[in-house]
Amino acid sequence: MADLIPFPGVFEQLKAVAGLRWLITKNSMRRKNNRWDLIGIIAAGMFSGLFVIAMCFAFYAGAYTFLGKGRPSWMALLFWGIFVYWQLIPVFVAGFGASFEFKSLLRFPLNPPTFYLLGLGYGLADFGAISSILWILSMLAGAFTVRPGAVPAMLVVSALFVLLNLTIERLLGSWLEKILARRKTRELFLGIFVLSMVSLNFLNPLLQRYGNSARPRFLAIVPYLSWLPGSLAGQAVAAGSTGNLEQFWIGVLSLLGWLVVASVLLWNRYAAQYRGEELSEGTAPAKADKKTLPHTSGELWPAFVPPAVAAVVAKEFRYTIRNGFSFLTLFLPPIMVIFFTLQFTGWNSAFKRHGIPVEWFFPGIMAYLILILLSPAYNSFAFEGKGIQTYYMAPIRFRDVLLGKNLFLAILVGVELTISLTVLIWRIGLPTLPQLVSTLAAGVFAVTGQFTIANWSALSFPKKMEIGKMRGQRNSGIAVWTAFGVQLLIGGVCSVILLAGKWTGNPWVPFLAFSGLTVATVGGYFASLNGLDALAETKKELLIETLCR
Amino acid sequence: MNEIAIATEMLTRKFGELTAVDSMNLRVQAGQFFGFLGPNGAGKSTTIKMLTGLLAPTSGRMELLGIDFQKHPVEVKRQIGVVPEGMGLFERLTGSEYLRFVGRMYGLDRATTEKRSEELLEFMQLADREKTIIADYSHGMQKKLALAAAVIHGPRILFLDEPFEGVDALAAGALKSLLARMTERGVTIFLTSHVLEIVERLCSHVAIIHQGRLVAQGSLDELRSGISAAEGEKKTLEQIFLSIVGQSGAEQSRLQELTWLT
Repeated sequence: MADLIPFPGVFEQLKAVAGLRWLITKNSMRRKNNRWDLIGIIAAGMFSGLFVIAMCFAFYAGAYTFLGKGRPSWMALLFWGIFVYWQLIPVFVAGFGASFEFKSLLRFPLNPPTFYLLGLGYGLADFGAISSILWILSMLAGAFTVRPGAVPAMLVVSALFVLLNLTIERLLGSWLEKILARRKTRELFLGIFVLSMVSLNFLNPLLQRYGNSARPRFLAIVPYLSWLPGSLAGQAVAAGSTGNLEQFWIGVLSLLGWLVVASVLLWNRYAAQYRGEELSEGTAPAKADKKTLPHTSGELWPAFVPPAVAAVVAKEFRYTIRNGFSFLTLFLPPIMVIFFTLQFTGWNSAFKRHGIPVEWFFPGIMAYLILILLSPAYNSFAFEGKGIQTYYMAPIRFRDVLLGKNLFLAILVGVELTISLTVLIWRIGLPTLPQLVSTLAAGVFAVTGQFTIANWSALSFPKKMEIGKMRGQRNSGIAVWTAFGVQLLIGGVCSVILLAGKWTGNPWVPFLAFSGLTVATVGGYFASLNGLDALAETKKELLIETLCR
Repeated sequence: MNEIAIATEMLTRKFGELTAVDSMNLRVQAGQFFGFLGPNGAGKSTTIKMLTGLLAPTSGRMELLGIDFQKHPVEVKRQIGVVPEGMGLFERLTGSEYLRFVGRMYGLDRATTEKRSEELLEFMQLADREKTIIADYSHGMQKKLALAAAVIHGPRILFLDEPFEGVDALAAGALKSLLARMTERGVTIFLTSHVLEIVERLCSHVAIIHQGRLVAQGSLDELRSGISAAEGEKKTLEQIFLSIVGQSGAEQSRLQELTWLT
């Protein structure tokens, strides 16, 4: 039997995990074909660095001003800012992919306290934690400069505040991990998140309308916030800096109370993980579905649509409604029409002030909707995953796959534009007949004109995406620039043609021009299919390797 | 039956400097249950990918059922079924939706696709998961579905990359008898597996690939006769494999170095 090695020390294990985390970060930048991503990471790093440094100055100035100019109670605002940032930023940075990286450490011989400490250590290495600690240090520096007597109180409160934030962040993260471990809840959560982000667009019009009446109700809530960590930390520092020891200790003990509660809850969560709590997904449901396979026969599609094309359309439809993010984007066009028309016609008269006439608003909003709906076409294989192999194994030409995908998107765009047009007519009325048909013809031209290049981009620069995840869910850099360039070009051509109607005095000129262009782009689209079929064969390995990774 | 189902001629695939498959000349007769073996990284999956159109060869020729694959890929693909490495499933479809999709991609009419999908789901014991999407299937269930999709169009050659990995013993038994019946009806089965006992039990013929080169090919008896054995001793496939690949001695000496473990 092999000799037993001595039990490893806690600090040795902490050191090893810190090293592991650094190696993971370092190696993630070393992946092949990742230069564009690396440039993106460097740019994001520089931006984040500048943001953190600028905020350091802001927190320094804040502490300096509040303590120096006799408003120590306002320190609570600074603590509140850090508290909200520290707790929210991990949600945005971590995305919604279930990450078992930390829990996977359980296979090593860790005892529960070490596992708990590792959990806290993991939290300390997060971007949100590092920047928040830098800001607290800046506040300390501000206090030291203007009122050195407040520094001891600040030190005690800051230490408690850091520990409390760290514990609450890990606790929320742990709960979030539990919720997001299952695919269905993760997608639901992502849907709610996206919907909340979209809803923020309505904040301004709502504030314009209801802001004044809602203010007293909001102010009535403020006193209740005094028992929360941000206010407690501010009150304790304020009391400490003015020599009010009783209030200082009340604040400190209250923070300590929060810390004890959060630590007990976090200990229980980690203990559950330590005992082997099962969070993983992918298992089959315990309860079997009722067996009701439909018996259908006959063809649903007209005879001129090849079965393979029809099969791809059906598959695309199912993928769209089962992808929470894609499904929600179906609701975006009418929502955006409502949002823009609210700005335009009612509660906020910003558009009116700038004098945007209806005849420009109508094509403008249609162009915007086509922009939203057609963007996924530039990376249309993103969600295929390993299924991409089926296209290459089946006895079909790849042009059928492209046709199916484009046909589905064209139908989708048609339905979305019809709904949006109806909403638009309800909100601001019907444009003149030449404007209506010219804009619709421009829409057909913009869609067919983009398909060929979008197909080329999707085959040439594929990027895998995963349904229900936010982290890394973006098209490749070149695909983004291609889409941007093409949409800019088509948008420019459409604008010039629409203006031509005004210049010539004949409102039907744009319709005729767009009709001619549509015939040309449709002809070009079908002519390109054979070339794209050959390209798909050339790019076969790239597609399979990228999407099956 | 002397029809050649799979024939390759100097089939080669390079990845930069690395030659994954080197000048392979393979012959598989129609109706054979053919096992394709090799150590990890030997070139098995690369070969299967080339033979099923998922990877282009760097050079060489491939003929399946007498048809040149490079010249007539669609005609060849109509007659083969594949369970590729990773299974190639669309995970956002349900099992029955996926089978219907595959049926239509292979040109089956709607009624036939429906009927066969239902029968296959029943056979694979997946019919009671009608509303479950594939992403929520267990690994074994996904494997069974991939097998169902590979046979829905009644292929003449079936390529299976590790078909029994993760499949429970009951289902594996049913699958093995299904595959055996298929070969009786003239279907050629080309199978890779690391479980040599399975290959020995199922396959009539075997080829072994090592470092990209085909180092042995023939029936099990032919392979046995090629290596030395004591009087009356019948070598197992594992012994044949180790003898041909020549790793046993090296493994032994490596183990001897790990004295602290033993």
